[in-house]
Amino acid sequence: MSQAATRRGPAIGSSVRKADGDVLLTGRGRFVDDITLPGMLHAVVVRSEVAHARIRRIDVTEAERSPGVVLVLTGEQAAEHAGPIPYFIDPAVRGARSVDIRCLAHGTVVYAGQPVAAVVARTRREAEAAARLVRVEYERLPHVLDAEAALAPDAPRVYDEWPDNVVLHRWYGTGDVDAALAGADLVVTETIRTGRTSTAPMEPRGYLASWDRMDDTLTVYGSLQNPHQLRWMVARSLGIDETRIRVVTARVGGAFGLKMQGHPEEVLVCVLSRLAGAPVKWIEDRHESLLLGAREQVHHVEVGMTRDGRITALRDRVIADAGTMTAQAGWAMPNMTATTLSSGYLVPAVQVELHVVVTNKPPLSAARGFGKDSAHFVMERVVDLVARRLGLDPAEVRRANFVPPDRFPYRTPAGLNIDSGDFPGLLDKALKALGYERLRRRQAELREQGRYLGIGLAFELTPESADSPGTFVSGFDVTTVRMSMTGGVTVLTGVTSPGGGNDTGIAQIVADELGVPLEWITVVQGDTDRCPNGFGNFSGRGMVTGGGSAALAARDLRKKIATVGARLLGADPDAVTVADGEVRAGDGRAVPVPEVAAAILTRAFAEASGVEPTLEATRAFKPGNIDHVPDEHGRIQPYPTYSSALHAAVVEVDAETGQTRLLDFVMAHDCGVMINPALVEGQAHGAIAMGVGAALTERLVFDADGRLLSDRFKAYMLPRPADLPVPRLEHQVTPSPYTMYGNKGAGEAGVGGAQAAVANAIEDALAPFGVTVRQVPLTPPVVLALIDEARSS
Amino acid sequence: MITNNFGYHAPPDLDGVVAALAEARGDVVVLGGGTMIIPDLTHGRASADVVVDLSRAGLSGIREEGDEVVVGATTTYTEVLSDDRAAALVPLLRTLSSGITGGPQIRNKGTIGGSAAYANPCSDVPACLVALGARMRLASAQGVREVPAEEFYTGAFATVRRRDEVLAAIVLPRPDGTAGYTKLKLAESSWPIVTAAVVSRPDGSLRVAIGAVAETPRLIDVEPPSAGVDDPAWRDHVRRAVAAAVPEPWSDLLADGAYRMRVAPAIVARSVARALAAGGEETP
Repeated sequence: MSQAATRRGPAIGSSVRKADGDVLLTGRGRFVDDITLPGMLHAVVVRSEVAHARIRRIDVTEAERSPGVVLVLTGEQAAEHAGPIPYFIDPAVRGARSVDIRCLAHGTVVYAGQPVAAVVARTRREAEAAARLVRVEYERLPHVLDAEAALAPDAPRVYDEWPDNVVLHRWYGTGDVDAALAGADLVVTETIRTGRTSTAPMEPRGYLASWDRMDDTLTVYGSLQNPHQLRWMVARSLGIDETRIRVVTARVGGAFGLKMQGHPEEVLVCVLSRLAGAPVKWIEDRHESLLLGAREQVHHVEVGMTRDGRITALRDRVIADAGTMTAQAGWAMPNMTATTLSSGYLVPAVQVELHVVVTNKPPLSAARGFGKDSAHFVMERVVDLVARRLGLDPAEVRRANFVPPDRFPYRTPAGLNIDSGDFPGLLDKALKALGYERLRRRQAELREQGRYLGIGLAFELTPESADSPGTFVSGFDVTTVRMSMTGGVTVLTGVTSPGGGNDTGIAQIVADELGVPLEWITVVQGDTDRCPNGFGNFSGRGMVTGGGSAALAARDLRKKIATVGARLLGADPDAVTVADGEVRAGDGRAVPVPEVAAAILTRAFAEASGVEPTLEATRAFKPGNIDHVPDEHGRIQPYPTYSSALHAAVVEVDAETGQTRLLDFVMAHDCGVMINPALVEGQAHGAIAMGVGAALTERLVFDADGRLLSDRFKAYMLPRPADLPVPRLEHQVTPSPYTMYGNKGAGEAGVGGAQAAVANAIEDALAPFGVTVRQVPLTPPVVLALIDEARSS
Repeated sequence: MITNNFGYHAPPDLDGVVAALAEARGDVVVLGGGTMIIPDLTHGRASADVVVDLSRAGLSGIREEGDEVVVGATTTYTEVLSDDRAAALVPLLRTLSSGITGGPQIRNKGTIGGSAAYANPCSDVPACLVALGARMRLASAQGVREVPAEEFYTGAFATVRRRDEVLAAIVLPRPDGTAGYTKLKLAESSWPIVTAAVVSRPDGSLRVAIGAVAETPRLIDVEPPSAGVDDPAWRDHVRRAVAAAVPEPWSDLLADGAYRMRVAPAIVARSVARALAAGGEETP
């Protein structure tokens, strides 16, 4: 199913402006909170203030009497109207434990912040006032907030029905790690931690459900990534036929995984609308959004190496804190951490033992990187530890351990089949852009002045466009390309856009494949009534699967147009071209495409009799490389493409205060063929900012009772422009043999790599003190403590 | 979201303000730019039964009164920055204003008096006013009184201002000498973690106030360095001065007290260096 990248037209590969740029810049974008429906009511969620408790009683009498209130719903009542929410990734399919997830807590709460009741009122303000009047009586139970503590045999159990707090316990990797470690010249052990962070899109979550009593149908608008999945999940939970539900994705102001489906509020809003007999809107406050975590892991690693820096063995015992279980995909992320750990390095023996553990904290939500970011952080720390122990240049240790360019496709010990890449090439480009040698000399000069400059490198391997059988993570997608009689082209695709611009990229593909100008094309996404059954956006899949299926559908349509156009011109169908909106005979004669379109519809029994008179085509695209037949080690290969990147961060650390200033950032990246380089760069910049934030400042803090303290942006600090230099991007293209144009995904690369590069840079800066970095974020107090620790030992 | 109804007054002059305050019952909020109090009200961290809005009462502007400089309480940071005469008279105010987190939106609304009266341990203004020897001019139906800045602050978010008083103006003795200001933040969006405001007087003595190390700004007793600000003996002297002034450091989510105590001497040193350098303040 691979196609050579043949550029048929001018659009693919060029940095065409975002199709909706002017709409966004002039404030005309319609987000879910801009949608108003007649009789619309507003919902506010009442959330648990305790981490673990039985609900003794919920008194709603005062709330119900509050002005403007239409309805107050408790978990007990909700359970009569909705069943459990189906899992986006079914734990049973992964050998993991599950519990019923409901839209409101029923009987027990397991985290502070869990929805326990909902208030619906005429205005948001009235709903909030009434929500404060809902009285919940709790009988507290012991709680546990730390994953390693939760593994202790006498730890409080988050779920009564489970024998312990383990969601998943699994082994990954191949090779005899014991023997390799025993035979190594040197073994290094270390414990590495990533702190709990959150994705924080500019627009938080929101849904508007409208139950129509007249025809018994439900329409759900939302800031969503996966409308088709939502339709199915709501149908199952509410016991309604899927065909009675329409999901419409509004314009989305950033998602990063937070808006994948499975959150309790999605079903909740549908239940509220049905009971209230009116449209009900729920838009979350930032403090609700910050409850959901992106990652939190501890890695106990052992690395075996040769004296000249080759890594021969890697053992990692991973304890991943999932918070409480969720029907959303968040709990499954650590699986990707374990699978991606050895990254793009040739490590012959790898063994990862993963425990995914529940604690009484809010759940994880899928987050950009989806676990690969933590793998990158750990692996890049490991490589730097090796370099530092052996006194070798971290750049050369990477080079020595990379999978060489001539070894692709390459099967990693965890089973991933890396399609293509040139990792040393990325390293060379990054080092050149940095001026590495000169920078090292500058570092030495500054050290003599008592100033601490650091250079940190990090390699990042990003598998994208996943397929996980039996779950909603699907590796293909579907697009319909439809032409009107006047030649206007509507592209209806199953992939959605979180705001990154894949609609523009898809339009470029259709323009070139169809042979019409870009301006003729409108892309429609996210409406389950209009778009073919697809899977939305996650895992960087938009251009691979959406672009691929759009290309196939466009080619089908083009063939028809060429055939009929040729007939109209009296030319040989194989000798005509379609370009710039015309069918051209090659001898200078041409017929405009709209005329051909009209002919197909109005001359179906005449000049157009050679083709089926449908001016549309619907096609699915399945990229290659995916293989779910377990091999002799029981491994499957769920990713078609593997992007790669080499990040380099330059920092200066103030040893008196622990502050870090980021001076320069270079990303040499390779996502295969780029459909729109400007959109790729936009994704890279955003991912880098996320990684820098996770490395330096972002940290979700809970009190001893499990309540979130960092619930606003003055406490959970994201990078601002003054914190970041403009990243410099170097491009490299190693096409994928498995996709339509050789393009890979570009949505996730940057988070893990940037986080790791900055952390490595700080350790490098403080090398004169002998500092070892073992955790992120590296806030000034943490850095100062590292210096103190190094000085005292 | 603010869910309750509240009384709202926007009196046209100071007399109107003190009259409104004399009558107000319940939780009273005096509103300057609102950059801190309105998020508090929105998120339920504070509540208001009455809001007295100062925006129309004519309390902004910087003028000279004899040999003193009077800063109207509702003078915004942007007004400070665009007033060149004020910058010449009180350069420390300009330095402080230019470094306020949040960009033009916050600088256009945030006021010197608002920050002074809100008494956030981590704001820039309080320690600067203490270093400048400012007097807080409080007005009420009973008249006007002035309180030295170093006596004005009683605790985190707490001052001697009575509920029927408004901070109408801040009086600065004509500053002599040079000033230096440094603040340490964890990141661009961070509250200040440690601030140090230093005035170096013509006789060579220093007046040093540190902010965000304790729950209130503190004057510390620091001699000018005789062998440069990096002299370990002098740094030790500063450390002891800080410890003497701060028996109990301030801790919050962003940084605990131990860190603040640890870095405060370095921040003081940087401000002293700035004040001693020719011309006084550079940009922090």
